[in-house]
Amino acid sequence: MTARRFWVYIEQEQGEAHPVSWELIGVARTLAAQVQDEAAEAGDEVIVEGVLLGSDVRGIAEEAIKYGADNVYLMDDPVLEHYRNCPYYQSIAALAQKHKPEVFLIGATTLGRDLAGAVATSLRTGLTADCTQLEMGEAKGATKKLLLATRPAWGGNIMATIVCRRHQPQMSSVRPRVFPAPPYQADAKGTIVEEEIGTTEEGARCSILEFIQGKEDTVDIEYSDVIVTGGRGIGGPEGFTLIESLAEAMGGVVGSSRPCVDAGWIDYSHQVGQSGKTVRPRVYIAAGVSGALQHKVGMQNSDFIIAINTDPNAPIFEVADVGIVGDLFEVIPAMIAEINTRKEARA
Amino acid sequence: MSNERIEFDAVVVGAGLAGSAAAMVMAREGLNVALIERGGKPGAKNYFGGAIYTHAIADVLPDYKERKPPFERPVTEAGFWFLSETGLTRMTVQGGALDTDPVDAYITLRAKFDEWWAEQAREAGAFLIPKTTVVDFIRGEDGAVLGVITDRPKGEVYAPVVIVCEGVNNLLTQKLGLIDRDLEPAQMALAFKQVIALDPKIINSRFGFSGEDQGLAVSVLGDVSLGLPGMGFVYTNKGSISVGLGVMLDVLAEYRLRPYDILQRYLQHPAIAPLVEGGQLLEYGAHLIPEGGYSAMPKLYTDGAMIAGDAAAMVNALHWEGTNMAIIAGKLAAETAIEAHSRGDFSQRVTSRYEDRLKEGFILKDLKQYRGFSRFLETHPQFMDVYPNFVNDAIGQFFTAYGKPKKELFKGMLGGLTDRRSLIKATGDIISMARSVLGW
Amino acid sequence: MFHALVAVKQVPDTTNIRIDPETGNLVREGVPAIMNPYDAHALAAAVEWKHKLNGRITVLSMGPPSFTATIREAIEMGADRGILVSSRKLAGADTLATSYVLAEVIKAVHAEDPIDLVFFGKQAIDGDTAQVGPGVAVRMDLPIVTYAVNIRAVDLDDDTVVIERKTERWTEVVEVPLPALLTCEKEIADIPYAPLPDLIASLKYEPEVWTEAGPVEFDTGQIGVRGSPTVVFKMGTPPLPEAGEKVNAREVGAQAALDLTFAKAEEAGVLSEMLGGTA
Repeated sequence: MTARRFWVYIEQEQGEAHPVSWELIGVARTLAAQVQDEAAEAGDEVIVEGVLLGSDVRGIAEEAIKYGADNVYLMDDPVLEHYRNCPYYQSIAALAQKHKPEVFLIGATTLGRDLAGAVATSLRTGLTADCTQLEMGEAKGATKKLLLATRPAWGGNIMATIVCRRHQPQMSSVRPRVFPAPPYQADAKGTIVEEEIGTTEEGARCSILEFIQGKEDTVDIEYSDVIVTGGRGIGGPEGFTLIESLAEAMGGVVGSSRPCVDAGWIDYSHQVGQSGKTVRPRVYIAAGVSGALQHKVGMQNSDFIIAINTDPNAPIFEVADVGIVGDLFEVIPAMIAEINTRKEARA
Repeated sequence: MSNERIEFDAVVVGAGLAGSAAAMVMAREGLNVALIERGGKPGAKNYFGGAIYTHAIADVLPDYKERKPPFERPVTEAGFWFLSETGLTRMTVQGGALDTDPVDAYITLRAKFDEWWAEQAREAGAFLIPKTTVVDFIRGEDGAVLGVITDRPKGEVYAPVVIVCEGVNNLLTQKLGLIDRDLEPAQMALAFKQVIALDPKIINSRFGFSGEDQGLAVSVLGDVSLGLPGMGFVYTNKGSISVGLGVMLDVLAEYRLRPYDILQRYLQHPAIAPLVEGGQLLEYGAHLIPEGGYSAMPKLYTDGAMIAGDAAAMVNALHWEGTNMAIIAGKLAAETAIEAHSRGDFSQRVTSRYEDRLKEGFILKDLKQYRGFSRFLETHPQFMDVYPNFVNDAIGQFFTAYGKPKKELFKGMLGGLTDRRSLIKATGDIISMARSVLGW
Repeated sequence: MFHALVAVKQVPDTTNIRIDPETGNLVREGVPAIMNPYDAHALAAAVEWKHKLNGRITVLSMGPPSFTATIREAIEMGADRGILVSSRKLAGADTLATSYVLAEVIKAVHAEDPIDLVFFGKQAIDGDTAQVGPGVAVRMDLPIVTYAVNIRAVDLDDDTVVIERKTERWTEVVEVPLPALLTCEKEIADIPYAPLPDLIASLKYEPEVWTEAGPVEFDTGQIGVRGSPTVVFKMGTPPLPEAGEKVNAREVGAQAALDLTFAKAEEAGVLSEMLGGTA
């Protein structure tokens, strides 16, 4: 009997877990279910495991189990307190050589992207970045199902599905918010295995001298329920004042399409799209956004999309649940007034 | 990088039609030539209707055909179209005088052509420096030009002779003191066009061509420019059509017209729209054309420098000739530069020989002859509306007046003119037109 | 003397993509080829330090002969030596095979002329994987700093470098020993307008062309398609989303448009989010 291990990197920084880790546990569970029959026939065990590194982070391991991990490998050591490339990738690579996982998923955050390529190269295996679809599928010539990793190529117009036939683990990175988080099950049970790290402080070859907190105008929009995005149609940086007013009235955050960021109207942390953030809020409002493919791939999974544009042929209307053809400088103030009226009526 | 001086035997400013011609001719004579172009590639900043006249190319590059110039279709049909509000009268020539070997003119797209033309200069040995703008001149104590200053750090290039082919925005020509002011809007036309892609077979069937070796170049008069001084054009490329027009800049400004709107109206004309139906817009662009003619020409030379092409306002507006003048002027400036090198004298004593060379050929003669035409259309607006409308109506009546006594028909046709303009005035117009064209 | 090596790649300008209206496919002709913007900024940073420390820069690119234009651009920007690794056998490489080839070349250069810093752009705008830089660092056992936005100090006596790297939530200031590898954000340096002598030198420059047979002999099992664990299984177009309702506010007025919007929002179960979470 072999164990077919589906690994997820549990990302944490300063003792806080990144929600993408839970999203990926959900994905791993789905993948594991897809090979269940095949495994049962061969008498193999299928197991979803988390890989967690840090210092004093056992609580996060327990959280991972509540989100669906059967087991968590915990490497807990002061050397791992802050993320640094060398100690992290070396420890993970050694762990993978020991336990031989079949699939390994890592969140495509800045930390994840710093880590994933190093781990994959160290293990001499294949890594597919920024996947939007993952499934275990049949492939000609393969004795068992392989990870079919699909990612947008060339601005999102082509979807390319990649396989890694002869190397393990089959690695994939996934952006936050591409997949939904699985439910939290307070009574879920699992194991935590403590592992030795394979490196020392001297081997770290990196000293962190300082942390400088981000400026006021940088923001994390990925996990907001409401995002109001301004595009080129807002005309200039002052246009974001109006966008901000609507976002405030709705208790949401401000997003931006790429041209506005490139023009310097707003900070990159607000950028939604293929080269910015992927978001899936409950409500997404695109004002003055044309809806180029590169933007659409970053927001098309939002639950409810409203588009406002003067051009009735703007591509954004193809993904909008409600499309308003009109001038955002008229529609948005009217929308804010409507929101206030309705709020008062309920109060 | 070394701190040595950057030095050449000659500098040419602008790798357009005049510039690459000049560079080619000098390089062939063994001169070390720097061809400095502000665009990323030659042709990046150039735009026209248009057609290139092969006599000029052959004059500089006799074996041009073997070098496979990127021409579009040859001009096998040329002439005038008169557009009334809803009608079109075509007056074109096919075959006959146009049936020459080699072909007189080819329809061309500038981005491809200019790049090829500059490549010929490079093959002759000229050194092309792109992405670099010449902003001023290096001067000797006596004011003579000793080289150019570019916009890059450490950007001085020394050369005893500079040929300026900077195009219609002739800032350097002004810096040379050859002209004391910007060209006025009344001396400039703004030409704008769309290039619309169509399957070559569709182009063939719409224009009546038997194949891709046939093409049309026409000037369009009449309803094109809302009755204002201007001329439209249609050129058929291999897989696209260039449709556009030129309007005098002062007129555009006075009437606050937007080029895009005029062009759209033109493209929607009932006679024009079917020609571009179903096509895909490839590009839309505009360019200034100096049409001041002879009276707008600056002085053409000074100590150590000469100017050629649009920078020297070498454009014949009626015949749409500017590119051939540019090419030949570039060559003549180059020959003068070669003479200067062999005599060791780069002063006006020698550079003035450039003007002598120009006078021998057609360029200055034609520009002098057509000097009145530039303002002719403006002072004779009836050529834009009355006459094209009359022509359309008259011919239209001629072909539809069946069952009417012919005496009445001709009376009706003439009435179509005299209703709008008295016979005496009309005759006077024809004479004025002849005068402006024949240069009396 | 300071020696930096900068890896550069030529990419299609993906910000200028056109879609063929009939087939829905990408139009690849006429898309201009540029130096990957992140590589260009990385190179600009290297050039700044070349001037500060009186050093030299080698640039390296793996690709077809057309990549020569990009190497020339690098010389224009201030590089001194350009190496193009080009061979049909290298084509079809995924990130693992690419990092193998680049690492082998960099090791060879380093053996003859020790390198202090290896620069990469943070990712290429066509692949967007951000994997090759870290891959090369692992193969060469170099410390790596990704998302570098500023090089604060380079100390060639102590063999250390201090770099600022920007993550989603903060900026870290890290010190790593030399030699090291960094991947760069655009902010790390502006690209200056090249002096004319550098431009002229670039126009005349011919890069050194290395192949899989030499000057460095590669292990054929690790290059090109053979050396790539990942392979494209299939390509497809994404399913078209279903468009919702469109209303013209100019015709029916803003109020009517908003009424429709809130009605649809209620249907979709997001009315409370529309009203700022109050319900």
